[in-house]
Amino acid sequence: MKFMVLVKASVESEAGAAPKPELVEQMDRFNEQLAASGHLVETAGLTRSAEGARLRWFDGLAEPEVVDGPFAETKELVAGVWILRGESVAEIVGLMKQAPNPDRQAGTIEIRPMVESR
Amino acid sequence: MRFMVIMKASEESESGQVPSTELIAEMGKFNEELVRAGVMLAGEGLASSAEGARVRFGGTAEPSVIDGPFAETKELVAGFWILQVRSLAEAVEWVKRVPNTDGAHHEIEIRRIAEAEDFGDNLTPELKEAEEKLREEVAKNG
Repeated sequence: MKFMVLVKASVESEAGAAPKPELVEQMDRFNEQLAASGHLVETAGLTRSAEGARLRWFDGLAEPEVVDGPFAETKELVAGVWILRGESVAEIVGLMKQAPNPDRQAGTIEIRPMVESR
Repeated sequence: MRFMVIMKASEESESGQVPSTELIAEMGKFNEELVRAGVMLAGEGLASSAEGARVRFGGTAEPSVIDGPFAETKELVAGFWILQVRSLAEAVEWVKRVPNTDGAHHEIEIRRIAEAEDFGDNLTPELKEAEEKLREEVAKNG
């Protein structure tokens, strides 16, 4: 099974501050472990929502409306993702509990299985 | 530039309802076009949040685990694409054409993926090299 792991945004990630070298280093080591164990398929950090856009569809309108970022609801935004291979949600939860968090920041990581079509 | 295109959930996607044959066919055609244009790097749909979990970090305690489903349907992610295009505007043009045969999608968010240059000096040459090695290893897991 494949899973998408979503890291929710924080005030810091939305401010566009580059992560501290300490965090970059720990994250790199964590990713290396995930790669070596065969779990890691892809990892991507997103730039702040100020560089993004949203498209909204409304009933009865043919064209979607385009809204430029930034978007206000910081805690609901995605700041980064992992795509991992694993056997169960519980296995991925176990891995993600060890995700580096050197500054012990409050935050949420969401784990979602992908729909298998092939 | 790489962009992550995030399809937001709807009541339909959260109900675990399977999309219509027509929508699956339209989506297949759209994805084929993305592939032919050399734009699509990845694309997947997520199962409803009922099958997911959240890990919450805070303070010094062990992280807590909360099982899905999660209530705030419109903020949840239902699927995604990773696109390689020249600009946000080009990504927007592609996303405008995402098939909506079932009339079920309401919002799609487009976000640029950070590249090595975005990390500035914090990405030291050593870390950059480690990053490149990681990419090679990940390609094997694909």
